Amino acid sequence: MLETTGGYWSPIVWIVSFMVAFLIAYIIWGTGEKRHSGGEQGKPFLSGLKEPPKEEVHVRAGNIYWGFTDTLGGYYDFMKKIHTGIVNDYVLWFLGMAAIFFVAVVLPGVLGWA
Amino acid sequence: MGMKSFKKALWVFHVNSGSCNGCDIEIVAALTPRYDVERFGIKLVGSPRHADVMALTGPVTNDLEDKVKRVYEQMPEPKVVLVVGSCAISGGVFHESYHLAGPVNKVLPDATCVYVPGCPPRPEAIIHGVVKAWEYLEKAGGGE
Repeated sequence: MLETTGGYWSPIVWIVSFMVAFLIAYIIWGTGEKRHSGGEQGKPFLSGLKEPPKEEVHVRAGNIYWGFTDTLGGYYDFMKKIHTGIVNDYVLWFLGMAAIFFVAVVLPGVLGWA
Repeated sequence: MGMKSFKKALWVFHVNSGSCNGCDIEIVAALTPRYDVERFGIKLVGSPRHADVMALTGPVTNDLEDKVKRVYEQMPEPKVVLVVGSCAISGGVFHESYHLAGPVNKVLPDATCVYVPGCPPRPEAIIHGVVKAWEYLEKAGGGE
């Protein structure tokens, strides 16, 4: 048993509590409707309408910050265009930026232009 | 009716499948203080999952066919469909309409139905139909 100033922790007490909770849950479950058929009965009731796919009703992160993307539309359009998802493009960007960094920062430092 | 009392309260889910609202108004009238069916434990519920009886009005239009089927499937067993009014029973004045999937025995052929004829039926007739449904459910062991 572990005793602290805030209380104690005992694995036996924990297991017994868990078993009691499980027993109560099992009794409640046992009193439920046994003829429940699942299927349509298990689906949410939407005034008789068919439940739409989760993808259609899911609230995406974009639903929260749509104001930013709307206001900064030009910027986001440009950013989306350059984020092609193709590794070759990203490597090209990396090499291009590295070359600019080399010319603008490293070379002046090495040659003593700065 | 040969029954002293019922074992449990009877909950009803109301579905309008394209009714003109005449029957719906009579169902609501059965809930008013004049008839007050809630004193017997009969009440309308907001979800078919809580209902023993589906009170169906209207001739079941094409648009409502799948909704009626879905609502019926969502109700727990045992269940009864209370078919309220001439339209729900036979299509009524709309029986030749191009926009009709009903009447109800075409849409729910396997359902146990209690028919309440009338255009619209009086609240007393609807209450009588509900009691008939109740009797069936008591025999079928509803809620046990």
